Amino acid sequence: MKTIGKIFLSLSLALLFCWVAPWLYRLITLKAYATPFTLYSCTLHDFTSLDRSDEREFRFIDRSGGVHGDEAQPMFYASILASRGALPDSIEGRKISLEEIDYHSVIASSDPKDVNRTVPPVYLLMESVPERLELKDPEDAMVSRKSGIDIYDMATNTLRADKTAALNAALKARGFVFPARLFAGKPSHRKEYDEGYLVTDAEGKLFQLKQVNDSVTVRHFPAADGIGIDFLMITEFENHATLGYLTGADGCLQFLCPDGRIINTTVPFNPRKEDLLIVGDMFYYTVKVSDDKGERFWALRSSDFAPVDSMSRAYPHQRNLPGISFTSSTDSRVKLRLQQ
Amino acid sequence: MTRMILYKEWLKTRWTLAGIAAVVAALTFYCFLNLGKVVEIRGAALLWETLVAKDTVLTEILRYMPAFAGALLALAQFVPEIQHKRLKLTLHLPYPQGRMLLVMVAFSLLSLTVLFALQAGVCALCLTRWIPAELLARILRTMAVWYLSGWAGYLFVSALCLEPTWRMRVLELLVAAGFLRLLFLTPVPEAYNGFFWVLLLYVMASGSLLFLGVARFKEGYQD
Repeated sequence: MKTIGKIFLSLSLALLFCWVAPWLYRLITLKAYATPFTLYSCTLHDFTSLDRSDEREFRFIDRSGGVHGDEAQPMFYASILASRGALPDSIEGRKISLEEIDYHSVIASSDPKDVNRTVPPVYLLMESVPERLELKDPEDAMVSRKSGIDIYDMATNTLRADKTAALNAALKARGFVFPARLFAGKPSHRKEYDEGYLVTDAEGKLFQLKQVNDSVTVRHFPAADGIGIDFLMITEFENHATLGYLTGADGCLQFLCPDGRIINTTVPFNPRKEDLLIVGDMFYYTVKVSDDKGERFWALRSSDFAPVDSMSRAYPHQRNLPGISFTSSTDSRVKLRLQQ
Repeated sequence: MTRMILYKEWLKTRWTLAGIAAVVAALTFYCFLNLGKVVEIRGAALLWETLVAKDTVLTEILRYMPAFAGALLALAQFVPEIQHKRLKLTLHLPYPQGRMLLVMVAFSLLSLTVLFALQAGVCALCLTRWIPAELLARILRTMAVWYLSGWAGYLFVSALCLEPTWRMRVLELLVAAGFLRLLFLTPVPEAYNGFFWVLLLYVMASGSLLFLGVARFKEGYQD
């Protein structure tokens, strides 16, 4: 036992050193840096980055070094331009107005920490067609189990047997194979409308579950069969341009349209390791995919989500000491990780 | 003889154990009094929403209690042994030394386990009224690491008590601090799911430090 004690203490001290030394080194040597906010400009047809070197001025720099004012981003700074009377009447031959710009404005993001989060198989169920029009806090919740999805009344923690039986019968009728794998939804009343949940079954088929008049409706998206969906995100934007975003076995970002079509943007995106930021307007979507090495941008045409331009920016290299760590910037799990 | 050793440990630690049990009971009661009020005023749906949408398990007030309980029990059990070198007398009893230390440690670990199991049982009983098994399992899986810190706190503080030299004690203190920090690295529920068994093995292996301390004491190491 004495020898085991000695070995235990020595190993523990070695592990402690390998954990603390790289952390201390990073703490001392880490240099903060900021990357500029970058969007695709519908007037310049180029990516422009916000330059705040002079804090009193908002300047946008395009890729060839040209300096522009707010008019380089008339969609993002529409209110400011309108207050100066500088908002153009039309862009690319299309008439624009503040209301229309606002209606088509889209911002969405995904963080690997959220994607990798261990979540309980419990999903709050909102009423999508509320009696008084305003969305209300959910009263029921779905609990995903091996043999089906059970619906509970949260206030009393009791199974709503009729509703559960109706949902499972509807799911089976549409070819749903239990257990469900992925759920994506935003059960919050702080949104314009509710589209319920996008769900994949045990075979990877895509469905939408939505509560309408206290009954859960089921919709199947045959276009997604065989894609191998491994990431789902519901959008619920005011303009109903998309129903959700997803990634499949090909590792590219795909858009699910309300009519059930799936458009592959061909933007490579690994949701478990990379951040995603999408800023869209009437004309273009700027898609930013970033990790700890750098960020890549794509401009997609809003009408058909076809890529029109791309650029990338590498972050300055930070030297790290090899060692071990137990946490990561891409997930919340604690486990032993080797650091190069 | 085993019964006599157990009785000796009981005499040494009964008031500490009673104090720990009282604090555990009071904290658990306070935690569920609060949750009961929330349910009464805002409804049980709020508990579901909070558990699903936020990184909480509602019982965070109990998080550090096991580690403190373990450390306190170790102090109550081993400080009397090292005072005036009473450990020397204990080790001269007609009983195998290794087994004696094992009985002493088992007594405390079992006492802590009973207390923790009782608390977890009360939590489960109270929560079952409001939430489904899936959410309850999430809470208990998260709390399992807190209870592990109770065992770790007990074993490391015991080892520190039994170690006869300060030089070695400082090294053990570094390891203990590092390991306890690791157990509280993140408050995110179920963050330790895949790593729990490795941590449990490590905690069990840390018991070897107690035997190292006793062996060094017998070899005559001292400051």
